[in-house]
Amino acid sequence: MSNDMKMVNDLLTIRELSTGYSVSGGERKVLHSNLNFKIGKGEFVAVLGPNGAGKSTLLKTIYGIQPAVYGDIIIKGKNINVMSSREVARSVALVLTDKISDKYLKSIDIVSTGRYPYGSFMGSTTKKDREIIQYALEVVGAEGFSQRYFHSLSDGEKQKVLLARAIAQDTPLILLDEPAAFIDSPGKVVIMSLLSQFVNEFKKSVLLTSHDIELALNYAQTVWLLGKDNKFYHGNPGDLVSNGLINSLFDNPEVTFNRNSKRFEPVSGN
Amino acid sequence: MKVKTTGKIVFMILPILIIVLFLSNLWYGSVNISLDDVWKSIFSFGERGETSNIIIRQYRLPQAVTALSVGMGLSVAGLLLQTTFNNPLAGPSVLGISAGSSLGVALLVLLGGFAGLEIGNDISFMGDMAIVIAALTGAIAVLLIIIFISGRVGSAVTVLIIGIMIGYLVSAIVGTLQFFSNSEDLHTFILWGLGSFSKTTITQSTSIFVVTLVICIFSLIFIRPLNALLLGYKYAVGSGYNVKLLQSVLILISGILIALGTAFTGPIAFIGLAVPHISRSIFKSSNHSILLPAVILLGGALSLFCNLVSKLPGYDASLPINAVTSMIGAPIVIWVIINGRRLSYE
Repeated sequence: MSNDMKMVNDLLTIRELSTGYSVSGGERKVLHSNLNFKIGKGEFVAVLGPNGAGKSTLLKTIYGIQPAVYGDIIIKGKNINVMSSREVARSVALVLTDKISDKYLKSIDIVSTGRYPYGSFMGSTTKKDREIIQYALEVVGAEGFSQRYFHSLSDGEKQKVLLARAIAQDTPLILLDEPAAFIDSPGKVVIMSLLSQFVNEFKKSVLLTSHDIELALNYAQTVWLLGKDNKFYHGNPGDLVSNGLINSLFDNPEVTFNRNSKRFEPVSGN
Repeated sequence: MKVKTTGKIVFMILPILIIVLFLSNLWYGSVNISLDDVWKSIFSFGERGETSNIIIRQYRLPQAVTALSVGMGLSVAGLLLQTTFNNPLAGPSVLGISAGSSLGVALLVLLGGFAGLEIGNDISFMGDMAIVIAALTGAIAVLLIIIFISGRVGSAVTVLIIGIMIGYLVSAIVGTLQFFSNSEDLHTFILWGLGSFSKTTITQSTSIFVVTLVICIFSLIFIRPLNALLLGYKYAVGSGYNVKLLQSVLILISGILIALGTAFTGPIAFIGLAVPHISRSIFKSSNHSILLPAVILLGGALSLFCNLVSKLPGYDASLPINAVTSMIGAPIVIWVIINGRRLSYE
């Protein structure tokens, strides 16, 4: 009984989840199996792992873009299988690495799509929508380039616009795939600080993937480590560093993760 | 702000431009008719038997109405396909959809010949319907193949190349059919395949106009989902749409618009591909709340303009409409490719 109650309070519950994709010939390649975890309100989770460990696949599976091989994904007590795309879109916002190639889309056009899950199919943008869009642009500091074409922006500015879109979507959970991947170092800090603000001030939950361990460990409250060969660990950053799990996952003999500096360093420094 | 006002002005000019081009189409032709007679004829003050009245009402009016309707329909179809496939080079003729329509009509006209039917000579309502249905079946068949392939192959370019190959394949089948058919059926089909706005009666052209207009207005309800599709498949799902279903509906609408035009006029090249690009560069926007109405108006205007140009030689014969649309459309496609390449190097 208490278990059921708790499930409703958790924002996202993953039960016995197996992720993977189908390869040619109808076969399925399973990347991870029997994953169990929960995300509560206002939690900042980073999914870390080497390239090819299945981070993006996990993210896509949680959103339902990629079908789960097995298991349940439950958002606010409801299984994602029985939710409409619209219902999911009102609970979870996406920030992806997919390129938006159109040349004549303005930043504000992109942020506006964040309001689509709330309007009717053919509805126009309401006054309330416009206020929320304006607010979202201000929160991330993108109001200065809201009328510029998205493709003409720098990678950092683009990411701000996509964050504004997620804020406009007004969801309790935001999923982000490599949000700082193509951005210069100061820009990365800006993006990660904004995400911290979303978590601390707006009590949103954030789940992001990253291969930048140093960066993620500085911001995330919880870390999920995805390794190749179905390895999965989760815990708070401090524990994962001190028990050496981070090192074991990225088994590269030439570098080691320094627990004190939270940095990878060469092994054979004299 | 500046772009916005320019856009507004263009939106006000376009309907006027359409009216002017429409009247020019009625006025200009191999027989000289005064503007006064055009006027009289439109508002049926002219005497029924008058030559000018007959020329305008039976030849020029249906031709202008057909040009306007098909221009609107193909342009909307082109825009929907470009957004749905996320591919700037998608269009009725490029993806082999027009070729599919041709195959449908070829099967009907040429194989009908073997069965003793004379579809080509049959100008009855049933004959029209048969050609429309044949064109639609062919268009949808090709579209289904393309949907099937694009579900498997992600790359837009791959889908495009396959579309072009399907076009060749279909043309080969049509060619083989032509080889085995009798000269009368062949004549009918070849005439149809050249493309022309001038083969419709006033009843047919009015029907095409009404149906096209209804579908074009209906397509306006997809403004938001179309905008979401511009961000790519995943973001469209993330905006709360059932994208697979949405894509199927949009493709079906495009198929109907293409088939409707193609059935009566033969395949018309490049309009559907070029008009969305012209609209984007005039209005500097990809937002479908601007683009969709723009494409409807501009498609009608460009098509009327092409029809007017095709009459330019002045004597009995007019230029083939496809020669005119290709001369205007092909450079635009080249421009799009060069422009796109420069962007990807930036």
